[in-house]
Amino acid sequence: MDMLLELDHISKIYGDLHAVDDLSLTVPAGQWLAIVGSSGSGKTTLMNMIGCMDTPSKGSVKLEGRKLEDLNAGQLADVRKNMIGLVFQKFYLVPHLTAVENVMVAQYYHSVVDEKQALEALDRVGLKDRAHHLPSQLSGGEQQRVCIARALINDPKLILADEPTGNLDEKNEKIVLDLFRQLHEQGTTIIVVTHDALVASCAEREIMLNHGVLVGEKWNDDAAREAYEAAGGRPASTGAEVEGAQSGETAIGFADPTKAAKTGA
Amino acid sequence: MTNTGMFFRMLFSAVFRRRSRAMMAVVASLVGAATLFCLAMICIAVPQQMNEEMRAYGANLIVTPTSSVDSSSGDKAGIDEAMVKHTTEMVAAKGSEKHATYRYENVRVNAAPYVMAGVDAKQVKNLNHHWVVDGSWPSDGKVLIGRDIADAIGLKVGSRITIGYRASDNSSSSSSSTDSSSSADSSDGTNGTTDSQQSSSGQAMQDGRVSSDIMDTSGTEFRVAGIVDTGGSEDSIIYATNADVNKLTGVTRGVDVIEYSAGASDLNALVTSINDMTSMHVKAQQVTKITASDTRIITMLQTLFWIVSLVVLVLTLVGVGTTISSIVSQRRNEIGLRKALGASSSAIGVEFYVESAMYGLIGGLIGTAVGYGLAQWLCVAVFERSIGFNWWLGVASVLLAALVAVVASIPPVHRATRIDPAVVLREE
Repeated sequence: MDMLLELDHISKIYGDLHAVDDLSLTVPAGQWLAIVGSSGSGKTTLMNMIGCMDTPSKGSVKLEGRKLEDLNAGQLADVRKNMIGLVFQKFYLVPHLTAVENVMVAQYYHSVVDEKQALEALDRVGLKDRAHHLPSQLSGGEQQRVCIARALINDPKLILADEPTGNLDEKNEKIVLDLFRQLHEQGTTIIVVTHDALVASCAEREIMLNHGVLVGEKWNDDAAREAYEAAGGRPASTGAEVEGAQSGETAIGFADPTKAAKTGA
Repeated sequence: MTNTGMFFRMLFSAVFRRRSRAMMAVVASLVGAATLFCLAMICIAVPQQMNEEMRAYGANLIVTPTSSVDSSSGDKAGIDEAMVKHTTEMVAAKGSEKHATYRYENVRVNAAPYVMAGVDAKQVKNLNHHWVVDGSWPSDGKVLIGRDIADAIGLKVGSRITIGYRASDNSSSSSSSTDSSSSADSSDGTNGTTDSQQSSSGQAMQDGRVSSDIMDTSGTEFRVAGIVDTGGSEDSIIYATNADVNKLTGVTRGVDVIEYSAGASDLNALVTSINDMTSMHVKAQQVTKITASDTRIITMLQTLFWIVSLVVLVLTLVGVGTTISSIVSQRRNEIGLRKALGASSSAIGVEFYVESAMYGLIGGLIGTAVGYGLAQWLCVAVFERSIGFNWWLGVASVLLAALVAVVASIPPVHRATRIDPAVVLREE
């Protein structure tokens, strides 16, 4: 199995603070991974490093076998626009552009603008009839769906979603998770950062961070686990010598309340 | 849609869908463009207006005959009508012109000698706006008397005056001695021509009267149409129409002096070109008193306006820069997002520079129109005349407004292109 993402003992250090502490992780193509943890656990810092928006203080990040630390800012921007689709908790839509224009912005920086394709992407998230509305005229759920359409428009190999349901009600949360489920079924690699156990439980695999240290890993899909291990995949690990850290070859399980009824999974 | 189309779609959306923000930048550019255009228009209009105003205070160029005596008859010849026309055409070819001709004769009033000038009242009135005339200008049978003469003789408007002409008073022997001095004096001012003619009798004058009196009071009776008061030597002359002077003297001849108020940009070149034409038998000279003061005042005004313009330009840069800086800082998240989507720093820089240029263009267009309105209003209020729109200056004003907006946006946009998307988009 080809590994899309490989983190090799990466750390992000701010002075005495280790936002991410010596983490090693491999993610194969097509996997749906959830990174969970409470606020301040280093989830977003980790996501920024994976998304080429930040660089690790130590260690190495590889995307499709390409070491990111060897790339300059322009090359990192190219990797970002060609390989990664970003979904944010606060949506970050350009306020003076309509929904379809917001989707086309991603096309503009990627390659060639195609309004028809952008409308199809909005149709895919159920917003074709809202395509010419400004973000201020859309509900939170609709804005997040526009954000997802924007992330999908360039067919990225990896979707990075930072608290994608953090600002949504239950109904819109379900719509967004259904969209992720569809993307996963189509073979898109998804990494979701969340502190919501329900959202995390929809993923095949979860890792938990606590103060930047990996403290647990669990699989919600045994078939996916077996396939991963059969392909030579190993559990995530940390070199941090902290009590409770998952430092060996064995995954340390952790518990979170399942919300199958809510997600429909 | 092409990427260029998308670029302009984003640009127009930023400008027209964020109207309140865009308005701030446009207003900043508008105020600067309006002020600068207004000042520039006045800077251009003022010399023209001042020149015309200054020229209302008399001639800046005089033309006299090189030889005032006819070689065959020994009498005064002057500049004939054809030469007056030719000289005037030469002056008119270099710019606008107003002129007046003067024929001077020595006459007697109550046996006392005075200088009489044959003029075209309309020409003289048009050339010398500063003359204060009590009553009316000369017409057939009516003369205009200088204030000094009126006071000396005790004349009032409507009084009768008997003017006698003696050919002997105007003989060549008495006038030729002062031919050379007449033109030399003229360079000091407008009074030069009259000074020279007053002294043409070769005798000292007091209150416009030659000191030697001959007891002969015969002559032609005229009515005093008006009394002129200039504060200068014009106050010692009697002005009559050319026809009356011809009738009084019984001789029709050319004029002694042509005074020009010439609008030529290079008066020196005009003087040289006339003097080089020796076959014309005339000599041209600048009235330096008028031209020098005119130039000095205009230079001072222009310097003042340019200094004010420079200050306004700096203030505009600060104003537009602050506004653009505010707009950029309000769009930090958007810039971070665009970078996260793969935009390069240069792409973001270009977007913001073009947006700034657009604010400058819109502000410049409106500001130029407003500035023209202001300049027009000022010129009407101060100079009592309107000014035409200068299209070159208008285009320059709009382009300058755009350039100023772009230059002012360099520091904030430079900061914007260095925004770290990870920092801006961090949610923790």
